[in-house]
Amino acid sequence: MPESAAGRGGEAGRPAVLDELAAAPHRLVLSAAADPEVMDLVHSMLEHLFAHHPQVTDPIRMKFEMSVIEILGNIVEHAYAHDSALPAVDPSEARRFEIQLLATDREVVATLSDNGMPVSLDLGDLSMPDELAESGRGLALAASALDTLWFERVEGRNHWCLACNLG
Amino acid sequence: MELDVSTRDDGIAVVVPRGRLNMVSARQLKETLSDLVAGGSARIVVDLGETTFLDSSGLGALIGGLKAARQAGGDLRVARPTPAVVSVFELTNLDRVLRARESVETAFDA
Repeated sequence: MPESAAGRGGEAGRPAVLDELAAAPHRLVLSAAADPEVMDLVHSMLEHLFAHHPQVTDPIRMKFEMSVIEILGNIVEHAYAHDSALPAVDPSEARRFEIQLLATDREVVATLSDNGMPVSLDLGDLSMPDELAESGRGLALAASALDTLWFERVEGRNHWCLACNLG
Repeated sequence: MELDVSTRDDGIAVVVPRGRLNMVSARQLKETLSDLVAGGSARIVVDLGETTFLDSSGLGALIGGLKAARQAGGDLRVARPTPAVVSVFELTNLDRVLRARESVETAFDA
């Protein structure tokens, strides 16, 4: 379990790398509709990132990619659970997300944010479900693979930060 | 992801997911496994030798197939997992429930 996953977010636990990310010229950014089809695009972004950063070893790549896709899957699922309950969704109010990716010499980082429903969770208490459960492993899996998993909700948006340390 | 399904002479069904097994493709795998069991094929080998990515949705589809196969008196076994797949099995402690077999041919031998 990553140390920084203990809180529900907020300024106190805010990962310092977020400031670095915002100013990094080589970060990759995508803003898109939160639908399942966009997942392949995010896989491709990760491939591109890794192709340019050989310092990210295969075991880290696997864990990081899996974690990013788990969190994105969570965003897409929540967006759909909400929108499908409505009679018709105005396209201008469709659920969207933004992802940023960055690799440095020290870590590989992703931030995801979305305008979906509030996520109620305690990142300090993520445990695996029963071994024959068919769902409910996503966040616990990401938390066990990452060195940093951080979440906060600000001004109607969910914000996630994920990182794996290198070396 | 592409999904190849075949049935051997001994009645064992072999399912080969090629590519990424994520939220989108997991639905397809779950339906395929469910259809196999409903159609009388309750002994299934999932060949993970060409599965380049696995997440919790894909894992859920495998567990769902395992339970359906066992309820029908059979079993689901996984063979030849790639390092990406093994990594997820280990992180979830499911490497015991989904014990990896070395080959598709011998997956049901023991």
